[in-house]
Amino acid sequence: MRFATFAIVFAVVYAVAYALSVWKNYALFTYHPALNEFGLGVQKAKDGPAMYWYGWMATSAIAGGIAGFAACFLPEPAARRLWPGLAWLVPLCAMLFFAWLLRGYFLR
Amino acid sequence: MTTALLIAHGLLAVALLGAITHQAASVLWPVAKPAGSIVGRFRAVAAPGYANTVVILYVLTAILGAVIYAEYRISVRIVLEELKLNAANVSFELKEHLAAIGLGMLPAYWWSWRQPGGSLRAPLTAILAFVVWWNFLTGHVVNNIRGFGS
Repeated sequence: MRFATFAIVFAVVYAVAYALSVWKNYALFTYHPALNEFGLGVQKAKDGPAMYWYGWMATSAIAGGIAGFAACFLPEPAARRLWPGLAWLVPLCAMLFFAWLLRGYFLR
Repeated sequence: MTTALLIAHGLLAVALLGAITHQAASVLWPVAKPAGSIVGRFRAVAAPGYANTVVILYVLTAILGAVIYAEYRISVRIVLEELKLNAANVSFELKEHLAAIGLGMLPAYWWSWRQPGGSLRAPLTAILAFVVWWNFLTGHVVNNIRGFGS
């Protein structure tokens, strides 16, 4: 039951955190590929583009990991009330959110 | 080096595509009686046995994709933008987001296949199969964009 709780909460929180991270740009770090440099937090492009994708995933993995780990300490009755379907429903909604977010580029 | 990694990424993606498609077919369209046709045999695989393979292949493919993504960002995306190939560009952007969200689903997916008759199997496997197919096709088209449709 403990791993199930972790997995469900991780899937939910990771997806929400990833969507928020991209939308509001909460990257844990920035990668400058032309310089092969990493910088903490969100940094502007230096020489060439700045990449935030790795930082978004790191932010989301930490948020999901902490939430999932914390959920493992929930009392058994509370953990049982957690609907497992959230593990697919929330990530699916996050995917649809990105399709909506990028719709303008498809329609250009 | 990037070319070698791209080929390895592509080969892992092919293996992942095969594994998840087999599994998705068997869970979404299970066979009711012993399979005779090739389609029936395709659907009649022992699906739980694919879960570990799918997780490992997904993670390895994502890691290799993440490694070569920097080169894509410098050398390819700028060209796509200059050529105004918006559909290809944004399809690839969606690919990166789908891949990232799919990574977060892997623990639940793996757990669902450890449970006898788990209700999460079908939706999680179907979503991951969609992600893998989208990412495979998008990557393939963008990789061949100079010849595609011209």
